[in-house]
Amino acid sequence: MGFLKVLKKMKQKEKEMRILMLGLDNAGKTTILKRFNGEPIDTISPTLGFNIKTLEHRNFKLNMWDVGGQKSLRSYWRNYFECTDGLIWVVDSADKRRLEDCRSELHVLLKEERLIGATLLVFANKQDLPGSCTAEEIKEILELDKIQTHHWNIIWCSAVSGDNLLKGIDWLVDDIASRIFTKD
Amino acid sequence: MYNIWWFFTSYLRSVLKWFLRRTTGLCELQRICYGEVSGAPRISAVEKSLNLSKSPQIKKLIAYLNDVSDNLRLKGSTEREILKGAVSTVLLVKRINPRIHFQFVKNFSKCVEQIWGYRQLLAEVESLRNIKFDSNNLEHEAKLLQLWEALMPSVELDNRISKQWQDIGFQGDDPKTDFRGMGLLGLENLLFFATEYRMPAQHVLSHSHHPVYGYCFAIVGINLTSMALHLLRSGDAKTYFYNTSKCLPSIRLFHQFYSYLFYEFDRYWLECKPVDIMQFSNIKLKFENNIRTSLMDTNAVFKINVSVDTV
Repeated sequence: MGFLKVLKKMKQKEKEMRILMLGLDNAGKTTILKRFNGEPIDTISPTLGFNIKTLEHRNFKLNMWDVGGQKSLRSYWRNYFECTDGLIWVVDSADKRRLEDCRSELHVLLKEERLIGATLLVFANKQDLPGSCTAEEIKEILELDKIQTHHWNIIWCSAVSGDNLLKGIDWLVDDIASRIFTKD
Repeated sequence: MYNIWWFFTSYLRSVLKWFLRRTTGLCELQRICYGEVSGAPRISAVEKSLNLSKSPQIKKLIAYLNDVSDNLRLKGSTEREILKGAVSTVLLVKRINPRIHFQFVKNFSKCVEQIWGYRQLLAEVESLRNIKFDSNNLEHEAKLLQLWEALMPSVELDNRISKQWQDIGFQGDDPKTDFRGMGLLGLENLLFFATEYRMPAQHVLSHSHHPVYGYCFAIVGINLTSMALHLLRSGDAKTYFYNTSKCLPSIRLFHQFYSYLFYEFDRYWLECKPVDIMQFSNIKLKFENNIRTSLMDTNAVFKINVSVDTV
């Protein structure tokens, strides 16, 4: 019994993933995390510091790190890069004024050595808001086609309604799993 | 197992109540209103006793009072009528003579006012939270500018969209998105603290600019609005309100509670000597636990000690 438990624990440990969620402030990172975890999303305040949640999803253990996105916090992002398997870049698709800023921050991030090898999922969030850019438009503005160094994908979503969140996370988990758990 | 225990304690409670009623000639509510210290100890005990009551009339009364307070109708002359009705229901059910027990009538009525005043306050606070900050609403905009003037009286704001907002701790150049889930409640809280506690607020703001232990004043403030709301919702904050409030609690009292939290948080933050701002989540959690612990003591009184040292 004890031996089996140890084996099971090792197995679980194997299936652990570390996922880092970044993006500009007010992109919706905390809302995505809470919505995905089934928590209420109506009383969220701006993240100062970070939130961490461990979720079970399809037999994987996802360690989700949600770090505050305001400018003065971005210099701390690098403290969370180590051992990251997946990076979720969250975009407020309705905040057209800051999409340029969003693009440059993302490309700076992708040059980071410690993030090489991490799968990148871009969430074009807030699709429920009128006048928001489509995922295709976001892809153009963020110049995602230029990315050679990472597996990447862009998926539209709405954290408020929950639409398409699962699709994005599933893609991310599948991509990471195919890279690191191939021996299974 | 739990069911047996519950049955046992409720049975024991009835026996004990019957025994005390026989020997003292007073019902439980009377014993509380005469025996407990005024404020949170008495009000909480009355609340518990009412909620445990098996009398159908009392149950009906509670449902009625809940409905009235949830719909913010506990006000002015209606409030007096409602309190009178509540008291006479209890007098009738418990067969208490109001001429002999006039002190009970007075004390019990105060308790009812506080218990359902709290519930009404929660409803009022929630409705304010539900109003999203809207930059097309002139009133909202005026309040935002008022906040700037109160905190930075000597500095002119260049523009409505300006990097200067970061000086009082908003995230970017337009505070409107920072209120998020806290809506207008977050702004009203900040504004109250900045205008009604001008000196302490200035003091806290200056700490937030500290080169090592600095933090974002407004964002911390909005996070504290969320904390104050959660304490109000969970009922932990009852100690504060029951001990502070002399009449029907108003939204001002909630703002005062918030101001107390802000002032105390600032002190605690500096005491912790955080390495950087990323410690905020941890320190906030510890602070909240400390507050919850001190609220558990029903005799506790909370006041801002404005012994402001000039740093």
